[in-house]
Amino acid sequence: MMYFAFLFGFCFVFWMVGVSCNPSPYYGVLSLVIGAAFGCGLLVSMGGSFVSVVLFLVYLGGMLVIFAYSSALVEESYPAAWGNRGGMIYVVSYVLVIVGYGAMCYWLWSMEGYGSVTIDAGGLFVVRLDFSGVAWFYYFGSWLFLIAGWGLLLTLFVVMELVRGLSCGVLRPI
Amino acid sequence: MTPLHFSYHSAFIISIMGLSLHRTHLISTLLCLESMMLSLFIALTMWPTQLQTPSLMLTPMLMLSFSACEAGMGLSLLVASSRTHGSDQLQNLNLLQC
Repeated sequence: MMYFAFLFGFCFVFWMVGVSCNPSPYYGVLSLVIGAAFGCGLLVSMGGSFVSVVLFLVYLGGMLVIFAYSSALVEESYPAAWGNRGGMIYVVSYVLVIVGYGAMCYWLWSMEGYGSVTIDAGGLFVVRLDFSGVAWFYYFGSWLFLIAGWGLLLTLFVVMELVRGLSCGVLRPI
Repeated sequence: MTPLHFSYHSAFIISIMGLSLHRTHLISTLLCLESMMLSLFIALTMWPTQLQTPSLMLTPMLMLSFSACEAGMGLSLLVASSRTHGSDQLQNLNLLQC
């Protein structure tokens, strides 16, 4: 079971390599979706199931859906696919970066054994650590909560101002 | 360094390399920025989980909400540049090129 967390970590890094060296933004968005799913699995295997659900909802369901729709701005009639371009050299070099970083961690900085760190909340609790931690927002962090909400509202107006159009002022298709 | 920490460290390094070495489209840059935010979220969540301090769980929630703001603003800039330049190709953003 502890090696399962290591598998999730490995798949997460693999799909992040796929995001960084995508041949076309369509494949980049897909790689980010699957990598975020494995990142959520990594968080669940550590006992943080609530933050994993929040990541799924806000990140995948909110932000990446918008990114998937915005990749329609790319407008390539013949998008490149994996493996048939000079972009494969990027894939190989990113994998070599990860392998080199792992080798440095192992030989220079004494990376510890595999599958040895999986933290649980220490017992059979109904309310886990992440769930009770986020509940701090509502009492001790109430001012922080209000200020963050005000910042989000401000972002809405900034975005509306950015896509307004300078002299036309009408909503138009891109 | 344990393998769990190594996973988000290497994901951050790969994402920041992808951010700086992207080739054609502006949206690829924004995607690498989002993957950096994802690796930072995982890092900030591992910290209170391993130290067993629930109060530090506020930081990944705040970081996620502000990264949603940043993603929205990046996409609106993408839309604005796609309106003025016709596409989001980076070779079109050459106003300062000599």
